[in-house]
Amino acid sequence: MSEELTVEQVADAMFKMVKDAMGQKKLKPMDLQKAMIEYYGADKCDKKMCKAAIKSLIDSERCVYTYFGGSFIEIPHREGAAND
Amino acid sequence: MADGQTNGKTPKLDKLDKGPWPSFVKEIKRAAEKNPMSKDLLGQLELSYEDKIGHWKHGGIVGVLGYGGGVIGRYSDVPEKFPNVAHFHTIRVNMPAGWFYTSDALRTLCDIWEKHGSGLTNMHGSTGDIVFLGTRTEQLEPIFSELTKEGFDLGGSGSDVRTPSACVGPARCEWACYDTLKLCYDLTMEYQDELHRPAFPYKFKFKCSGCPNDCVASVARSDMSIIGTWKDDIQVDQAAVKEYEDKGLNIQRDVCGNCPSKCMDWDGKTLEIDNRLCVRCMHCINAMPKALRPGKERGACLLLGSKAPIVEGAQLSSVLVPFMKMEPPYQELKDLCEKIWDLWCEEGKARERVGEFIQRVGLGNFLEAIEVEPSPYMIAHPRDNPYIFYEDYFEEGDEEDEDEDGDE
Amino acid sequence: MSQTERLTDIGPPKYDKYLPPIVKKNYGTWLYHEILKPGVMVHMAESGDKLYTVRCGTPRLLSIYSIRDFCDVADKYCGGHLRFTSRHNVEFLLTDESKIEPLIADVKKLGFPVGGVGNAISSIVHTQGWVHCHSAATDASGVVKNVMDALCDKFESMELPGKLRIALACCLNMCGAVHCSDIAILGIHRRPPKTNHSILNNICEIPTVVAACPTAAIRPARIDGKESVEVDEERCMFCANCFTVCPAMTLNDPLNDGVSIWVGGKVSNARHEPMFSKLAVPYIENNPPYWPEVVETVVKIVDVWAANARKFERMGEWIERIGWPRFFEMTGIEFEKYHIDDFKYAGLSYKRSAHLRF
Repeated sequence: MSEELTVEQVADAMFKMVKDAMGQKKLKPMDLQKAMIEYYGADKCDKKMCKAAIKSLIDSERCVYTYFGGSFIEIPHREGAAND
Repeated sequence: MADGQTNGKTPKLDKLDKGPWPSFVKEIKRAAEKNPMSKDLLGQLELSYEDKIGHWKHGGIVGVLGYGGGVIGRYSDVPEKFPNVAHFHTIRVNMPAGWFYTSDALRTLCDIWEKHGSGLTNMHGSTGDIVFLGTRTEQLEPIFSELTKEGFDLGGSGSDVRTPSACVGPARCEWACYDTLKLCYDLTMEYQDELHRPAFPYKFKFKCSGCPNDCVASVARSDMSIIGTWKDDIQVDQAAVKEYEDKGLNIQRDVCGNCPSKCMDWDGKTLEIDNRLCVRCMHCINAMPKALRPGKERGACLLLGSKAPIVEGAQLSSVLVPFMKMEPPYQELKDLCEKIWDLWCEEGKARERVGEFIQRVGLGNFLEAIEVEPSPYMIAHPRDNPYIFYEDYFEEGDEEDEDEDGDE
Repeated sequence: MSQTERLTDIGPPKYDKYLPPIVKKNYGTWLYHEILKPGVMVHMAESGDKLYTVRCGTPRLLSIYSIRDFCDVADKYCGGHLRFTSRHNVEFLLTDESKIEPLIADVKKLGFPVGGVGNAISSIVHTQGWVHCHSAATDASGVVKNVMDALCDKFESMELPGKLRIALACCLNMCGAVHCSDIAILGIHRRPPKTNHSILNNICEIPTVVAACPTAAIRPARIDGKESVEVDEERCMFCANCFTVCPAMTLNDPLNDGVSIWVGGKVSNARHEPMFSKLAVPYIENNPPYWPEVVETVVKIVDVWAANARKFERMGEWIERIGWPRFFEMTGIEFEKYHIDDFKYAGLSYKRSAHLRF
C-alpha cells in the first residue's frame, strides 16, 4: 500500500466494522479510531483522519450517533422505543 | 383530538394549580389550551399521579443530522391513550452565558417553539440549557434550522462536552475574579465539535464560577470546575467595616468567629487580617460587601472530577491547579483540558467520568500522565496508609550505576 | 436538502449580545451590593451607576405564555432586559428605582413571588420527574410545588439564619446533582430490575448490560430458551444503571418507588468547605398529589434548623456543631440501619473518637 490513505477509505473500513458489530457490541468513536490506527498504522492514519472519517459517516447518514447511557456510532435503525 | 383515558379531567393535578408557589400545572394547562401535545401531557401526567409511575420510554437515536447531542428521544408508553405525546423529545438549546436575554430573543425562541413543539420549556435545565420539552421526530430539523437562523445552536448531551455554564460574573457581581461569561463563551466556541459530536468515554462538564461562593455549583456539578480566586490580600475599607458594626453587625462574633482559618480580629476600630492564613472562603466578604473585596491579583483555581453518584459514587472536584490567570486566549487551560481528554479517551472505560477514571488509576499516576507536578495544594492530607506502590527498587550491585547524572 | 446552506456549530449568542446597556458600561467595575428588601438588590458601580435587581421565583417548567409575560414586564420596566439565575429564578434588571414597586406589583399579579435573596430559601433546583423522565422514581414538579407552597414565606422574607438550598432529583442519576444541598429530596427505586427476557437480547447487547452493574450483580443467562441476563437481587442497590443502558431492565415500580431525604450539603466555600448531603430519611412512599409526609418532614427539618442555628450557619454547619444524635433527637427522625453506610469506604463515616455530646 504505497498510495495515500484517504478519509473515505477509513470511513469505509469503519462502516464495515460498525456493520459487523451490529447487535453484538455498540462501538464508540474511540473504538473505531483505535482500530483504524492499529490497522493502518499510526504513520498513515491519525486521530484527525479518523475524526474526519466519522464526520463523513454521520453527515452522509451511513451511520448515526445513538445514546443509551453514553454515545455510540451505529447503523441507522428504527429504535425499540419508537411509537409510530 | 383524543383526550386520552382521563377524558380531559385531571382531578389530582387540579389540586396543584393553586397555592402560593407558581404552579407547573397551571403552566401545562396554559399551553394545553392551544396545544394538543400539552393537553395529552397533562392527561398522561394525571395517569402517573393515579398509578404512581412514570409513562415515558427513553429514546436513543433521534437527533439532528450531523450532531450526536442536543436531542433526547422520548416516547410515551401509553401512546394509544395519549397519541399526541407518542413522541415527546427534548431539545437542549445552548443558552447565552449568564442567562442574559432580551425580550426579543426570548420571544423568538417562544415563537419557534409554539410552531414546532409543545410550548413548554424549562428555564433552564440542570446543566444550564434552555430546554424545549416535547416535540415529534419530524419537527427536529425544522426547529434546528430556525434556531440556527436566529443565532442559537443546540447544547450537549451524551458522551460529549456538555453545554458550559457560568455565573453572572463581571456582568453584575463585584466578586468576579475573572470574566466567567467570556471564558464560558470562549470554551463553548472552541469546543463546538466536541460538544456536538460525542467522542468521549462519557460526558464532560465545564462550569465557570467567578468566586469561591460558586453560584453555579461547579465543585459539585462539573468535571472541570473553574472557580475564581485571588492570591494577594483582601481589600479592606476600615471605615466601611465600622459602618457595618454601627448598623448592628456583630463583627467579632459573626464575621471573625465564623472565619474557618481564624485569620482575622476586630478590636472595634480595625479589622486585622492575616492574609497568609486566609483560605479565601468569602465569608467575611459576603457579610460585609461594602467593606471588603477580593484582592487584586485574580485568577481561578481549577478543580477536577466532580459528578453525581452514577456509576461509582458521587464526587466533588479536587484541586488540579491552585491558581491560574484566566485571560484570553486561555491557552494554558485549553492545553490542560486537551491533555486530560487525550488520556481519558485513550484509557477511560465507557460511562467512566474523569473523576472515576482518576479514582481508578490514582491521582498520582494521572498527574504523571498529563505532565502536571504533584503539589500539596491538591490534597487534604498526605496518605495515611502505608500501601505505597513504589515503582523502583535496588538490586545488589546497583550502587555503581547510581551516578548516572555524572556528579563526579 | 434545501438550497440554503445548513448552519451548524454556530454556538450560542455571544456572551455580551443581550447585556443591558448599564451592564455593558459597568462590566467588571461593580463595587458592592446591598439587599434593599426581600428579592431586591442594588449593585453600585465605580461610575456611580446603580443597577437594581428584582428576583422572582418560577416553577422552572414554564409555558411560552408565561415567558412572554416576563418579556412584557421586561419591556415595560427594564428596556426589554432580563436574566435567569442558576436556580430557575427570573431577574429583572432596572436602572430606575421608582419602577421597582410597580414591577413587583405586576409580577405578583402574574402569580410569581419575589424573593430568594440573602438569608432565604431560593427556588428548588429539580429534574423532570413524571413530566418527562423514563427513570423517575417520583415526580419532581409536584413534590417541589408542595414543598415550596409550605416554604414560600421563607422565599419572600429573610428571616432564616443562613441560606437554604433545597434540591430534588427524581432518581439516582441526579440530573439535578442534588448531592450537595442543605436539603436534598431524592427519588429512589427499591425493587431489583424486572427483566423483560423476551426482548432483552433484541434491544440490548448482553455484555453491555452485564458491564453496567457496579456491583457485578448481573450475569448472562439463558431464560426460557432465550439469551438474557439474571440478577443477583441481594447485590442490587437500585442504581438503575442497567436500565439506562438497556430499557428491558425496568426499575420503575409503583409499590416500592419513593423519596429519600438528605441534609447538610453545600457547594459554597463560605466558612465550611463544600460538603455532601447526608441521609436523614431513607424512604417515604410516593403519595401524590400532595406528598404530605415529604412536606412535613422537610418543613420540620427547616423549622428546627431555623430555630436553633446561629447567624449565617448553613444546615450542615449547624449539624456539625450540635452532632448527629441531637439532629435526630430534635427533628424526631428515627435513626435506623439504613443510615449507616455500607458502600465503598463506609468506615470513613463511622464515629472514630470519643467526642460525644450527651
